[in-house]
Amino acid sequence: MFPSRRQFLQASTAAWTFASRLPLPLAAAATATKESTVLIVIELQGGNDGLNTLISTQDPEYRRLRPKLAIPANTTLTVTPECGLHPQLRGFAELLERDQLSIVTNVGYDQPNRSHFESMDIWHTCLRGDQRRGDGWLGRWLQESTAAPGSLAALHLGDQQLPLALRSQAHPVPSIKSREQFRLQAPNAESLQQELLIAAAPEPSSDDLLGFIRSSTSTALQTSERIQEIGRRSTTTTSWPEGPLSRELQTISGLIRAGLETSVYYVSLGGFDTHAQQPDAHARLLRQLGDGVSALMKDLNDAGHADRVLVMCFSEFGRRVAENASDGTDHGTAGPVFLIGNNVVPGLTGTLPDLNQLRDGDLQYSTDFREVYADLLQNWFRTDSEKILGGSWKPCGAVRT
Amino acid sequence: MTVNSDQPPYTADEAWLPYRPDVDGPWTAAETAHLYRRGGFGAPLAVLQQAAEKSPAQASRDLLTATEPESFRQLSAQLARAAVASGDPRSLAAWWMRRMISSPAQATERLVLFWHGHFATSAEKVSDVDLMLQQNELIRTHAMTQFEPFVQAMAQDPAMLLWLDAATSRKAHPNENFARELMELFCLGEGRYTEADIREAARCFTGWEVRRRQFRFNRFQHDTGDKTVLGESGSFGGQDIVRIVLKQSAAAEFLICKLVRYYLRDEIPEVAVLCQPLIRQYRENGMQLQPILQTLFSSRLFYSRWCQGFRVRSPVDLAVSLLRTFEGSANTVLLSERTQEAGQGLFFPPGVQGWDEGRAWINTSTLLGRSNLISGLLADSATRFAGKTPAEYCREVLATDPQQAIEQLQTALFARSLPKATLDSATRLFSKRSDQSLLEALQLLCSIPEFQLC
Repeated sequence: MFPSRRQFLQASTAAWTFASRLPLPLAAAATATKESTVLIVIELQGGNDGLNTLISTQDPEYRRLRPKLAIPANTTLTVTPECGLHPQLRGFAELLERDQLSIVTNVGYDQPNRSHFESMDIWHTCLRGDQRRGDGWLGRWLQESTAAPGSLAALHLGDQQLPLALRSQAHPVPSIKSREQFRLQAPNAESLQQELLIAAAPEPSSDDLLGFIRSSTSTALQTSERIQEIGRRSTTTTSWPEGPLSRELQTISGLIRAGLETSVYYVSLGGFDTHAQQPDAHARLLRQLGDGVSALMKDLNDAGHADRVLVMCFSEFGRRVAENASDGTDHGTAGPVFLIGNNVVPGLTGTLPDLNQLRDGDLQYSTDFREVYADLLQNWFRTDSEKILGGSWKPCGAVRT
Repeated sequence: MTVNSDQPPYTADEAWLPYRPDVDGPWTAAETAHLYRRGGFGAPLAVLQQAAEKSPAQASRDLLTATEPESFRQLSAQLARAAVASGDPRSLAAWWMRRMISSPAQATERLVLFWHGHFATSAEKVSDVDLMLQQNELIRTHAMTQFEPFVQAMAQDPAMLLWLDAATSRKAHPNENFARELMELFCLGEGRYTEADIREAARCFTGWEVRRRQFRFNRFQHDTGDKTVLGESGSFGGQDIVRIVLKQSAAAEFLICKLVRYYLRDEIPEVAVLCQPLIRQYRENGMQLQPILQTLFSSRLFYSRWCQGFRVRSPVDLAVSLLRTFEGSANTVLLSERTQEAGQGLFFPPGVQGWDEGRAWINTSTLLGRSNLISGLLADSATRFAGKTPAEYCREVLATDPQQAIEQLQTALFARSLPKATLDSATRLFSKRSDQSLLEALQLLCSIPEFQLC
């Protein structure tokens, strides 16, 4: 009744010709065309210190409020005469030289919430805490898109739970940690896989919770088969830096190059909650980020896929302008968003935050994060953004039209 | 009573009344299995059958009041010292998992796991293994007692102070991290305080430092000025803030609702309404935790079909429960690495909010990780079930009468009925009686969707 593992693999290489016999998620997956556009979201968790990421080289207020933490102007990597990147963001500086980096400055939202989780949820859903949050902004985009239900339209890499941004009713989005770990390990893996597929088949009498676990189990088994198969075909010559983010980006690059139909990839980098001993920790994180993204773009470029990929890096909030006594910074408000790809408007979009116009010691944002989303939805995914964002937002102008 | 309904089968007034065997439902090993799976980490069938001879109130009291004999405590302390000497937090994780698997006080260990997620402190940042052990033992001491002394003790716990940067907070620049999480994550919940409350409370905790691995109050760094927190003003110190925060009406509701979701059901609509009688009991008894657990575990709602099988097992729960049910032992170094891969590393919670519980445990990656955890356990040469290798155990205990064995497994391990197809496959594999087929049967049973729930 169910295909053997070998048949399964043959079928998956043959563009899932048995899809009609297997009414399961993913079975309907289509092969990607080279034209399809891809968005990679990198979530910087904990609240990235934007002021020490994109650094003002001229403003005396910055140096006054950060006597210990201010990054010396002459060490920054020049973006404009007024500002430069953190010295460990060499990867981003290289991207900027190649016109592949756009920095949207001072992005935030009204009445900022300083709880990590609440603010992250606001970014993920575009909804406040008192509104019902069933799905995320990318989940809503998946629903609106033409992606076949059950295709691998989006993929989350990491061992945390699925980001709220990707949640939706129609498109269960898989999470995978790494390609190597993402498979059943058992002496009898083939027969176990088949037995489990039967046990996880939809059952009308099961309640919502059990139904959820059944469909997650099916998705897991089938996605695992596909990812393993693609992994066997993928090769690369790029030298990748160390670290989990880089490994995940490498996996993503392999999947894109192998022609997976996925439109949205989601990864995160944690550790930005730098309340204490910020300088070294922050520098290490920025280096991982810059070097990882730079390697990713090189790898995609070499394989001729760079034109159809765009990367967005965001964080749930920036940090308080004044440093604290622990060589760190507390939760703040606005911060920069980075867009990377061949189709961005290079350099700064927007103006640097005004440190003379603080509210309770915090930055006042100048670009709403939904203007960044609107830019991505309209100018990258070519979709109407109003329904997805729950309102009309003007694209921020960082994506080439 | 419909199982599928989101709505509880009882009103708030009825839900917490004592469960009456034969009136409200049956009282057999299936119900005591539920008690042990939720209140502890499961038990072998013989223990469940014994418990069914007692009343629900007595069975839950015995579970809650079980203690570790002195000899067990001494051995455990010895092993803990060895873990600390290794300097590796993963050794400490292995130590704790071993304690969960073998401690007679399993309700306490279950609650310590709850509190570890609540006061989530990670060895990722607090790399001093001794301090992580101290915190774990501190939690164990307070786990079932009164909440306010517990929070006071946690606020001065060195690992906590380092974790939330309170230890480096200065009068001139107070660090807000601890004050924020005290209100948001430990006591009140998001939105039950203002940003000004956080800033003022942070001032009260200035001067709380860690010196020579111990809490020390540094009066030179303490801000002695007046502060206003949650509507009260005075030259408060940190202990005043804990007291003021716990006085808020939101505090009792926050904790009781969280406990009820942890012990009864992950997803409860209007949980605060349902919990009102418990919240009242908790306030009136001075925030004592054990009587609340006693009420929970002997209540009508607890044994209802609306609760049984409606919690997702956490990876640690899954591993420990399997071993306790089979009177097992294992290489807990390997096992705790496996639970980490499946999303729950002891002493490595993912962030200050701890683990999200419920459906958050389940994704494509963790589901494969959970199945791989089982296969790793069955394949490891150190694994023993009742002193035998897993294959021996299957052959000698389970395969003599496959049908009966599966019925017993259903009772002890599963809160949901096994699907017909799995039942048939497992029976067939048990009947073959080869090492491989026996282990295959067990692997299958412990990987199906029903096993993820308890």
